[in-house]
Amino acid sequence: MSALLIISSKKGNYMTLKSSERKSGNLVLPGERLGVIEEFIPDSGTYVKDGVIYSKLVGRALMDLLSRRVSVYPLASEAAVPKVSATVIGQVYNGQSDSAIVRIFKIGQKKLSGIFTGILHISDVQEKYVKSMNDVCKPGDIIRAKVISDKNQIYHLSTKDKNLGVVYAFCSRCSNLLEPGRHEMVCPKCGNVERRKIALDYGRTDV
Amino acid sequence: MSEKPEKLIDKKGLRLDGRKPDELRPIKIEVGVLSNADGSAYIEHGKNKILAAAFGPREMHPKHLTLPDRMVLRCRYHMAPFSVQERKSPAPSRREIELSKVIREALEPAVFVEYYPRTGVDIFIEVLQADGGTRCASITAAALALADAGIPMRDLVAACAAGKVGDTVVLDLMDTEDKVGSADVPVAIMPNLNAVTLLQMDGILTFEEFERAVDLAIEGCKKIYAVQKEALKARYMAVKQEEEVEE
Repeated sequence: MSALLIISSKKGNYMTLKSSERKSGNLVLPGERLGVIEEFIPDSGTYVKDGVIYSKLVGRALMDLLSRRVSVYPLASEAAVPKVSATVIGQVYNGQSDSAIVRIFKIGQKKLSGIFTGILHISDVQEKYVKSMNDVCKPGDIIRAKVISDKNQIYHLSTKDKNLGVVYAFCSRCSNLLEPGRHEMVCPKCGNVERRKIALDYGRTDV
Repeated sequence: MSEKPEKLIDKKGLRLDGRKPDELRPIKIEVGVLSNADGSAYIEHGKNKILAAAFGPREMHPKHLTLPDRMVLRCRYHMAPFSVQERKSPAPSRREIELSKVIREALEPAVFVEYYPRTGVDIFIEVLQADGGTRCASITAAALALADAGIPMRDLVAACAAGKVGDTVVLDLMDTEDKVGSADVPVAIMPNLNAVTLLQMDGILTFEEFERAVDLAIEGCKKIYAVQKEALKARYMAVKQEEEVEE
C-alpha cells in the first residue's frame, strides 16, 4: 500500500494535472467520485455508473498512475461472509454419524454479529478413513475449519490440515474441558476417554 | 408546550424558535458509538435524539425470509416510551411499523443488496427524544450506521423535511410546526447520484408550493450531507491515528 502511494505521488505531479485535487490516499466515503473510466480502471471498492467511478466503501482511495487503477482500501471493518478458502471458527451444533453442522461465528479475524451455518462432512475431515463422526467432534465443541465450497450458499467445511480441527472439546459426560492424551482425549474431572480430530494448537487459541 | 401558539411566524418572518424559514436546526452527528453493533451512529437534530445501529450481513432468522439472489434489509424504527411528552406504549404502533418500511425503502436503493445473497442486514433505530422530523433524522443516521458497518453502498442518504406553516413554505419542521402547520414534505436524497429515495407529503399544497418545498428540502439535505460526511470522516481520521500510535 505504501509503495503505491509513493509511486503515485511522484508521478502524479506531471502525469495528470486534473487528478491533483483527488489525491491518492485521501479518505473517501460511499458515493464519492473518484474519476471516469477513461482515466482509470476501476478496481476493488469502487463501482461504475454512467462512466463515472465512485467509491462504495469508507476508505482510502488508491490511485495507481502506472497501471491506471483506482481502488478503495477499506477502513471500516469490512462486511464479512464466508468465502471459499477462508478459515472460520464455529461451534458444533448438531452431529450426525456422517456430518456435523457448525455455527460459524468468526471468519478469519473478524467476529460476526450473527452466525452462518456450515456443514462438515465426514469425507472432508481427514485424508485417511474416518469411521464415525463421533470420533471427530461432538456438539458443543469449538472447531476451526476451512470453507471449501459455498455453492447454493451452503458452506461446506474441511478440516484436512494440521492446524484445523477441534480447538476446544468438552466431555460429553460432565462438560469439562478435555485434555489431549497420547491418542485420545481425557477428561481431567471424570476420567472419561473420548476421540477427537484436534488442531495442532488445541486449547491454546483465543476464540 | 402542548397549548397552541397563536402565531407560528412572527412579524419579522421568524419562526417559534427564532429560525428563518429556510434555516435548519443545529445538527450534531457521531459515528461508531456502539461497540456491540457492526456499525452505529447517533444524531442530534434540533431536539431529536436518535440512535441507529446496523448488524450484518448475517444469516437471517427466520430462515425462510432469505432471498436467493439478494441480501434482505430489515429495519426497526422504535420510539422510546420517554421520547415524547405523554408516555408512549413501547409496543410498535401502526405509525412505527409504517415508518420502518418507509425508512427501509429510502435506504435500499443505496445498498448493493445483490453482493451478499441469502443474508440479511438489520437496522435498529431508537428514538430517544422526538421533536418532529424523526423519520428524516433516522434515515440520515441509519445511512451512516450502514457505511460504518462496511456494507458497500452506492451513496450515503441524507434526509430533510420541508412544509407549510401559516402561509410560508419552511424548511425542517419541528414538532409544533408539524402538528399546527398545514403540510409536511419529507425528502431523502442520494446527494452524489442526485437521486430522490423518499418523497412523501401530507397536508395540502399548491403545485408551486410543493415545488418550492421540494427544492427547499433538497437544499436542506445537501447541508445535512455535509455534516454527515464530516462525522464519518472524523470517525475514521480518529481510527487512523490510533493505528499509527499502535505502530
